[in-house]
Amino acid sequence: MRVVSWVIVVLASAAAGAFAWTHLPRSSAAEPYQPPRTADGVPDLNGIWQALNTANFDIQSHAARPALAVVPGSPRTGIPGLVRATHVDLPAPPVRALGAAGGVPAGAGVVEGDEIPYQPWALQKKKENADNWLERDPEIKCFMPGVPRATYMPYPFQILQSTNKVLIAYEFAGATRTIHLDKVGDSPSPSWMGWSRGRWDGGTLVVEVTDFNEETWFDRAGNFHSDELRVVERFTPVSANHLMYEATIEDPKVFTRPWKMRMPLYRRLDSDAQIREYKCVEFVEQLMYGQVGVVNPETGSRNQ
Amino acid sequence: MSYRHLVLRALTIAAAVLFAGCSGASLATSSTTTPRTAWGDPDLQGVWRYEGAIPLERPARLAGRAALTEQEVAEQQEVEKEQAAKRLAGFEGAVVGRRSVGESPIRGNEYNSFWQDHGRPRQVSTRTSLVVDPADGQLPYTHEAAKAETRAAARYGVGPYESYLDPDTGERCLTDGVTGMMWQGPNGGHNRIVQSPGYVTILHEEYRDRRVIPVDGRRHGAVRQWFGDAVGRWEGDTLVVDTTNFLDRTNYEWANIWTRPSESLHLIERFKRLDAATLEYTITVEDPATFTRPWTAVIPISKLSDDTQIYEYACHEGNYAMPNLLRGGRTDAARAKR
Repeated sequence: MRVVSWVIVVLASAAAGAFAWTHLPRSSAAEPYQPPRTADGVPDLNGIWQALNTANFDIQSHAARPALAVVPGSPRTGIPGLVRATHVDLPAPPVRALGAAGGVPAGAGVVEGDEIPYQPWALQKKKENADNWLERDPEIKCFMPGVPRATYMPYPFQILQSTNKVLIAYEFAGATRTIHLDKVGDSPSPSWMGWSRGRWDGGTLVVEVTDFNEETWFDRAGNFHSDELRVVERFTPVSANHLMYEATIEDPKVFTRPWKMRMPLYRRLDSDAQIREYKCVEFVEQLMYGQVGVVNPETGSRNQ
Repeated sequence: MSYRHLVLRALTIAAAVLFAGCSGASLATSSTTTPRTAWGDPDLQGVWRYEGAIPLERPARLAGRAALTEQEVAEQQEVEKEQAAKRLAGFEGAVVGRRSVGESPIRGNEYNSFWQDHGRPRQVSTRTSLVVDPADGQLPYTHEAAKAETRAAARYGVGPYESYLDPDTGERCLTDGVTGMMWQGPNGGHNRIVQSPGYVTILHEEYRDRRVIPVDGRRHGAVRQWFGDAVGRWEGDTLVVDTTNFLDRTNYEWANIWTRPSESLHLIERFKRLDAATLEYTITVEDPATFTRPWTAVIPISKLSDDTQIYEYACHEGNYAMPNLLRGGRTDAARAKR
């Protein structure tokens, strides 16, 4: 008898436990994540972070394609029974040798609603940018990537959080932003990485970025802005090893309304994770200047 | 760097407190307690810049003399004040880049002075060289490096410029090297130090050079870089940074040969706050590829006012000089052919 009653008690407890586990609200799910705090008492965002998505290829949803620069293949015609002429995009000659390493992986967009509200002229310009990617994308020339593109390029960045200043050290092109949490004067001029003022909104670091020039892009798909760009970023720790990142984009010269991107950022947990040098100026000099001088360093002979 | 930027910077610096008392006393000891960060590390944060008039190497006319007389210091102070006043008044050519106009081989070099920012009058010290070891105040170049230095000095601003490999690394918007980063560069010798737990980051305005230095007990890694692989540690209130694993960039043109990295370069830096306004920065450079023995320089660095900013240095993004220089080289070559 004794054993039977124990079995009943255990089974009943297990059933109650299972019910509670599946039906009752769990405090850990209902309450927002409580991140560790710095010595100054604010959420600790220190660490090396990286986006893991395809937004740098295209911030909107996109199918896989053979290359960033393509040319139309010759249509197949005259085949008996062929209803439509088959049209295929082929990698453009300057990138053809890259093969599958030069392809574009498919990806879900990071834009809320997947729509970028371009003014009609701007949508036209975006398409022209995409068609002339090799000549126009500032990434190719190792120019500073701007904000928010720096966040989701395929390179890590480090948040270095002090009391009054937060630095973001990006690996690509060695770009750095100083986010001023204390009072700071106005930017003396437009710039590539903008002028960043930060504040805490509960568990979120909110950064208002202004004073951009009109040179940077949002991705390799030709999405662009003007010098009236204003970005409001929100960095929110949502677990020990990831942040939720939001960027609201305002630019009345180019868009009809503000719009938003959103993506998680992941902590790099590799041993000896560091932001390394990527001094890419040295890597693009032959592309930019090889033909310009008296001597071409590629051949060692004189340019014609 | 825009004109507006420079005006703003000049105003900022002009507004900064002058501490004339530091002249001639930069090495004086001070027992002020080093401030601490919120998490308890010695606090080196702020914007710093070398504003001294002490040259790296002892000038030949002062050979054998480690110190100036009080009268010489007073005279030099007058010269510095006069030059600063001339700069503020818009005169050009008082001090141009790394050498005076008279010494410069470049005709029209005065052009460069308008976008250089020498700030307030340079502080004069009794010291006659930043190099304290060797005692003669001279860099102990190997024979080969001395030849390279002479050759580079003769080429500077003269050429020939046949390809992008001919201008120096600064003109290519790469870097002027890590050895002089804390205290070189009239076009942006400002450094912002920002600390976070386990890291000291130095943001140098010129070339937007940046060093994120781990101060967390880790060892050197295996990745070679232009700026090497730096690891830091606290010795009392002094930050000691040990850097190895530099890339070999001795084949490039350098404005100063002593700043170029090689695979055998080993750099040891010590950052010590002497008082609220002065950082004593000591570098010891070992590199058998360039020097016959290690050398050490002690550099007093000044803290600028809290509202001083490091501005974006978009050098490569606006490097119109490079294609123009190379086109000029082609024009010269075509003329020479005719």
